[in-house]
Amino acid sequence: MHDQNMLDVKNIYKNFGSLKVLKGVSTTVDKGEVISVIGASGSGKSTLLRCMNLLEEPTFGEVWIEGKLMTPVDPYLHYDVIRVSKTYKNLVAGGMEDTEAIMKIKAEDLLIEKHSAEGSEYKAMMDKIYRENHIDTNLGRRKMSMVFQQFNLFNNLNVLDNIMLAPVETAKYNKVKDLKAEKEKIEAQAMSLLKRIGLEDKAKVFPSKLSGGQKQRIAIVRSLAMNPDVMLFDEPTSALDPEMIGEVLDLMKELASAGMTMVVVTHEMGFAREVSNRVLFMDEGYIKEDGAPEKVFDDPQDPRLQDFLSKVL
Amino acid sequence: MTLGSILHDMWDIFVKFYIGEGLLVTGVGYTLLLSAIAVFFGTILGSLLAVGKMSRIKPLQYIITAFVEIMRGTPALLQLYIAYFIVPMMLTNLNPTPIACVAIGLTLNSAAYVSEIIRSGINAVDKGQTEAARALGLTSRTTMTKVVMPQAVRNILPALGNEFITIIKETSLASNFFVGELMTTYAIIKGVTFNTVPTLIDIGIIYFVMTFTLSKLIGVAERRMKAGA
Ligand SMILES: Nc1ncnc2c1ncn2[C@@H]1O[C@H](COP(=O)(O)OP(=O)(O)OP(=O)(O)O)[C@@H](O)[C@H]1O
Ligand SMILES: [Mg+2]
Repeated sequence: MHDQNMLDVKNIYKNFGSLKVLKGVSTTVDKGEVISVIGASGSGKSTLLRCMNLLEEPTFGEVWIEGKLMTPVDPYLHYDVIRVSKTYKNLVAGGMEDTEAIMKIKAEDLLIEKHSAEGSEYKAMMDKIYRENHIDTNLGRRKMSMVFQQFNLFNNLNVLDNIMLAPVETAKYNKVKDLKAEKEKIEAQAMSLLKRIGLEDKAKVFPSKLSGGQKQRIAIVRSLAMNPDVMLFDEPTSALDPEMIGEVLDLMKELASAGMTMVVVTHEMGFAREVSNRVLFMDEGYIKEDGAPEKVFDDPQDPRLQDFLSKVL
Repeated sequence: MTLGSILHDMWDIFVKFYIGEGLLVTGVGYTLLLSAIAVFFGTILGSLLAVGKMSRIKPLQYIITAFVEIMRGTPALLQLYIAYFIVPMMLTNLNPTPIACVAIGLTLNSAAYVSEIIRSGINAVDKGQTEAARALGLTSRTTMTKVVMPQAVRNILPALGNEFITIIKETSLASNFFVGELMTTYAIIKGVTFNTVPTLIDIGIIYFVMTFTLSKLIGVAERRMKAGA
């Protein structure tokens, strides 16, 4: 019932208490796309990324990964659901027109949070949509791994174990029969990933003994070891010494040209322009501009984007 | 009373009572037994309290917070008195001995402190570690056992060692109930010799040897753990 975009972000709102950080963000990520997300500090870039894999739970809106729903069902996105709610029925009974009633309900957030309070038909429909589309959060996350600004390698594990932990635990979770053979396979894959970034001699080393650039490249292959369909990057080079930025960007470019689907929050405008197919400009909780890099960088329409670019370029 | 005579009496008392009458072995034995019980069961109970407090169940959080604050905010001696009187009332058919009551009191006291040690040890682990694990699709349980706890233990163990030292000193309060630990030997010897100061100094030295040894052992363990990182 749902079109198969790789990742589908539908009308995401995120509030931290009274602070409104995302105010209705929608976008789709297609297979093989490399999307850069740019914008001023505090504009909500990290929050958007963290809502995609549910490290933050969106206040409203839905996140879909490969046609599977990560979040709870957001009734405001389903008119057929709104139409069976008691609130809607009351408004229409009071003489309001269909579109008007739906608009009013959406605008004023009138639906009652407790599903059963909107009637059994409403609750049944909400439950059905959820049941038919929902994916377990952890399963969803295994399809889209994340790379952090601060690397976040596991300090208690050596490099090899950092890479192997999630695949091995996933194998256990899936009740793989021959776990020993599976572990050997995972180790071989981990070693070949390390070889790919020229760090196979660091396999038994602990993270505290590595440079920032090495840590981040290992964090990237740790994500790769899960064979993700989408990779999310949150300013992967911002915590690096300048001389180490290149090695990390090179690895990301390599991934991009190998066809990896990527969403990259970045302040590296060079990377955004050269490597990505699409650039999103975020400002005050909205996506203000969304287009090809040439269009966003060379022909910016939004005045806030023009202002932003004049500062960073 | 000269220094020479004090030293002389200290030696006499040590040889006669602590060695001759075996008070060193029983006193130190009971002190270490009480401390070990309090720390061991306090750690188990304290872990449960810490888990409960970090759970999402609000009433549980409030109850545990109240318990911990009360235990930390009232004198241990008072808690021991209450345990001494209340435990026999609650466990009438078990007929608990005074030392059992005191052990229970000390355990509850230590559990309150240990729960805070564990909680802050876990909270001190960088949040990024949890986020990276969850982002890789690990369950919260696996994240806890494979990533957070192994790192938290490094913060927790040294603090637990210090709690052990605190408890060793705190067991002296049990002498109020004459349970036979090291401080009780003071009352025993004083009753026979009326010689207070040399006895107290002897006891002080024995306590110090225990706590000092323990703190050195903790230091060694801590360095080993750091080296293993
Ligand atoms: N967990 C949180 N609790 C409260 N406020 C938060 C939380 N996370 C983010 N915020 C706030 O939300 C706003 C947007 O933060 P976000 O990290 O998404 O911005 P950003 O665009 O990534 O900025 P930067 O370029 O500095 O990383 C900020 O005002 C921030 O203080
Ligand atoms: Mg950010």
